[in-house]
Amino acid sequence: MNLLTLSSYPQAIAHIDCDAFFASCEQARDAGLKGRPVVTGKERGIIACASYEAKARGVSRGIRLGDAKKLCPDLVILPSDYETYSIYSERMFSIIRRFTPLVEEYSIDEAFLDLTGLRRLYRASYEEIAKSIKEAVIAELDITVSVGLSLSKTLAKLCSKENKPNGFMAMPGYRIHEYLKTMPLERVCGFGPNTVALLNKYGIKAVLDYIDRPVQFAEKALGKIGVELWRELRGESVYKVSDEKKEKYLSISKTKTFVPASRDRDTVKARLMRNLESACIKLRRHKLSARTITVYLRQQDFSGRGMEANLNRHSQATLDFVPIAAGIFERLFSSDKYYRATGVILSDITDQGIDRHDLFDDPVRIEKLADISSAMDRINSAYGKHTVHIAAAGLVDRESSHPRSELPWRKTGLLPGETARKHIGIPLMKIRV
Amino acid sequence: MDNEPLRRYAEKIERFYMSSKRMPSYSEMLKLFGVRSKNAVFKKVRAMIDQGILEKDQKGKLVPLAVARPLRLLGLVRAGFPSPAEEELQDIMSLDEYLISNPQATFLLKVEGDSMVDAGIQPGDLVLIQKNLAPKPGDIVVARVDNEWTLKYFDKAKGNVVLRAGNKKYPEIMPRQELVIAGVVIANVRKYR
Repeated sequence: MNLLTLSSYPQAIAHIDCDAFFASCEQARDAGLKGRPVVTGKERGIIACASYEAKARGVSRGIRLGDAKKLCPDLVILPSDYETYSIYSERMFSIIRRFTPLVEEYSIDEAFLDLTGLRRLYRASYEEIAKSIKEAVIAELDITVSVGLSLSKTLAKLCSKENKPNGFMAMPGYRIHEYLKTMPLERVCGFGPNTVALLNKYGIKAVLDYIDRPVQFAEKALGKIGVELWRELRGESVYKVSDEKKEKYLSISKTKTFVPASRDRDTVKARLMRNLESACIKLRRHKLSARTITVYLRQQDFSGRGMEANLNRHSQATLDFVPIAAGIFERLFSSDKYYRATGVILSDITDQGIDRHDLFDDPVRIEKLADISSAMDRINSAYGKHTVHIAAAGLVDRESSHPRSELPWRKTGLLPGETARKHIGIPLMKIRV
Repeated sequence: MDNEPLRRYAEKIERFYMSSKRMPSYSEMLKLFGVRSKNAVFKKVRAMIDQGILEKDQKGKLVPLAVARPLRLLGLVRAGFPSPAEEELQDIMSLDEYLISNPQATFLLKVEGDSMVDAGIQPGDLVLIQKNLAPKPGDIVVARVDNEWTLKYFDKAKGNVVLRAGNKKYPEIMPRQELVIAGVVIANVRKYR
């Protein structure tokens, strides 16, 4: 195929992706862990994140701790410390924002940046600017990131994945066709296994084969998204970098795995109700209402069952959802099986505080439920999350959820003046001096 | 309540105010906030008025009271002579700002050993260390020598690095093979009660 474009960067989009983020944070604050195989997720019994040293030994995300220990006997297994990871994440985004204001927080450890037009400001090429951002993150946070630079989000993400960890790759417009000639389809964010299988049937193996076809082919085979990706992959920026903080939620879900697995009806139900409470609290914090609730239970062997139900109106009151969740629970639960996780998803979400009641609703009761929820929120914000809770969730507190060894280190030794609920917002290094 | 989004909008207004020396109009705020409806702008403005970030004058025009950097703006925008008290406020910094110059590169470390007691750093103290500083002679650094982490004065003798303890008990160290410096101590915090 011919050159797609002669220009280098009609617009410059960068993707920054942290390498094994949670494990890297642990290694950054505890220099003794550098170079050693480290994983997080001790409290869940499953690996949440594996350092590159652990990955090299065959340990990867999602496998069980016991199996991981067999693969790698000297594995360092740590409980997740989301407080510290969030601070590192916020810091990374502020470092990036020092260079460009147009930054999209794509996830806790991924950012998209629009660098277009910054060359004159920094008197440097886009490659140099992207590299100095990368170097600043490494120098200040001591974690490594992989950076991809190109003309669209899809291409930038393709680049950042290319030389992980600590990678850097720039794909200017006039080199797109070279790089994509051998690039397998599944590397593209948006091409799942089914899409790849479909495209293979048309004789398309590499990304270049796809964008070589006329746009009508993309439209016919994959519809609107196919066309968008076709244009993105040809260097046109269809998906814009958006600096709006993610304020729109399509659904809110809360899942928690617990160890040991349980087949006790009340215990499992208490876990479910606690998730429901947390989901409703989040709903109210964002001033949203939901209509659909999905409840699922996951068994010890990772198989799971779920069920969905609708309210007759939108609601944000915990007590509106409790009877429904309890009903679904009774139908899903069977006492001869061991469960390891419960989950709640609230969907069909709206930010309009609509209060349409139907003929058989009791408006006074609905008002009261809303009052109860807001009273609970006020008490809990003063005295701690879940101080006041629904009775069915109470069992969760009685059986202390985590043994001390599974608490993150930052929660076990408080600094003078800190309380269990308020810590200094600066990462604490784990070095003995 | 979560004020984070509001603060971000206030920052956007501040940037506009600083660069164009006037408040944005509602239609300009539409663009500034990246929202589609003026109603959304009105809601955010009302919230900012409630929070004391903005104020409406008699004609209904917006006046910045405290846009993101409350203290700096105070003396600037009020009509008439600023009162001496307000002028004093302009130069106040928080203890955080006083202690920390690069917030992204600053970390806490709890001291356990006594290698720096003569420098006034005792076991139990919290030191603030900055990562991206090149150590200069006289700095106190967090260094790793022979697989042990320690707090030491950084110094140079005949072009070589020398680490000195702030405690006569410990000898000087001349790192021969590897020397890793995790950061430079920029402050020491000791809380008495």
